[in-house]
Order: sequence, then structure tokens, then C-alpha cells
Amino acid sequence: MSEENQEKVAIAPPETWVDRYGDYLYGFAMSRLRNAEAAQDCVQDTFLAGIKALDRFDGSRDIKFWLRGIMRNKIVDHIRKAVKEKKVDIDSEDEGLIESFWFKYSGIATTNPDPWQFNPRKHYDNGEFWIVFEKCIAEVKDPAREAFVLRVLEDQTTEEVCKVMGITPNYLWVLLHRAREQLKTLLEANWTGKDAK
Amino acid sequence: MFTCKQVSNALSKEDYEKLPVLRKFFLKLHVKLCLFCGKFNGQVMQSQDMCRCYKEHEEHLEPLRPKLDAEKKEALKELLRSQAQLKD
Repeated sequence: MSEENQEKVAIAPPETWVDRYGDYLYGFAMSRLRNAEAAQDCVQDTFLAGIKALDRFDGSRDIKFWLRGIMRNKIVDHIRKAVKEKKVDIDSEDEGLIESFWFKYSGIATTNPDPWQFNPRKHYDNGEFWIVFEKCIAEVKDPAREAFVLRVLEDQTTEEVCKVMGITPNYLWVLLHRAREQLKTLLEANWTGKDAK
Repeated sequence: MFTCKQVSNALSKEDYEKLPVLRKFFLKLHVKLCLFCGKFNGQVMQSQDMCRCYKEHEEHLEPLRPKLDAEKKEALKELLRSQAQLKD
């Protein structure tokens, strides 16, 4: 289909954005930032950047997704600032893991991780499960949570995340391992849906 | 065939579902058969499956997610109105 023939989506005026997309963007920001104030700031910054850049919006998709694209950058900016303020230091346990035989030889932390206490796959079609999943991500300790959000949820490359957080790829691997480990424990403790255990 | 280290490296760089078909096949085969890295990397793959599914479901989670409070909404509306007028 040629560009001229592509159907353009009507652009909702900025005055209506809060009612139309406010909750959507706020929920999205909360799932990444866990802090209500930071999420509100993120929504506000997204709307303001959207108004500024509105001339560049080509109408080829719903403006909601365009705003969400802007918000992704705002979330990365927010995490970058938070990381800068507290600086990520590697602790001795994590350093030990990087120096361990298993990591050097095969890139793993252990040959025998604890198995899942329930099968999460059974619940992937249940919206409640994903809300619990979001709450559990919020409880993962920083900087593992920040690394997980950037690398896994926001699809930043290893190089980008290492640059933002000022860490090595090996340490990023450790942080992602820690985040997965905690997320599993938290889901096992918090998911009480049908057939949870 | 992959080594354990190559499997771990591939999984740390990319969601295994995004790998080319043959690479994905050999990676899954390695993880299924390997006594050393199989359990660990199997859990990494399971975590990747979970996060992929989460992102696919995200668009439908809005009704269940927290909402902006009314006061903040009003303040935001006011701000957007003034910014939109400035731009006009």
C-alpha cells in the first residue's frame, strides 16, 4: 500500500489526552517505576513532550501507542537518573558468582536451581496473574529490578543497559539472574490463584 | 552443536524465540539434554517465555492496573490546556 493510501488516524486534541490516555499511561509507568510520584511525573513529561512533537506525528497509528513510545524513553531517562544518584556497586557475593567455576566454564550460576513450585504457564491467560507479576517485579530489589526493566521489559540492548547503569556485561548477567531468582520466589509466595501450588 | 557457554551467552543477549530456526533448534536440544546447564538455562528460557507473554498481554491489563487520582488528572488537564494554547 502506498503512503498516500494509508488510512490516517484522527488525532485527539491534547486537552482530551488526560481523559483518554491518562490511566493507560499511568498504569504502564507504574508497572516499570513502582513509585506513584515518579509515574505521575512520567505521564506529565510524556504529555508535554507529545504536545511539543505533535507536528511530527504522522497519524499512521493510534496516538495512544505513539505516546507510549515517548513514555518508554521517559522511563529509561528516569531509571538513568535514579541509577546516577546512587551509583551501582557490585557486592562481594555477586563478585564471587562472576569468579565462580560454573560461571566461567558454562555461564550459569548453578547446575541445580530450585524447581518452580507451580507451573506459571497455566496462568498466562489470566489477567490477574500478570497484575501479581507486576507487583512482584516492583518488589525485586534495585539494581536488579532496574536492570530487568531496562533489559527485559524495555528491550534495551546489553550495551545500552551497561552504559546507562555503568556496569559490565558480566555484572548485568548477575543482576538479571538475581532478578529472575527473586521474581520466581515472589511469584511463588504471592500467586494464590487457582492451582497455584 | 553449542557448548554450555555459547547457550548461556546466546540467552543473555537475546530472547531465544528471536533466534534463527536452526540456532533455536540446537539451543533447545542442548538445554533439553545437558546435565550441566540444562536446568539453569531451562529456567532462563522459561523466564523469557513469561516476559514475552506478559508483554503480549500488557495492552489488556489497563482495567486492572492502578489509576491516576482525580486531583492529579485535573492539574494535568489544566497544564495541557495551557500548553496547547501556547502552541497554537
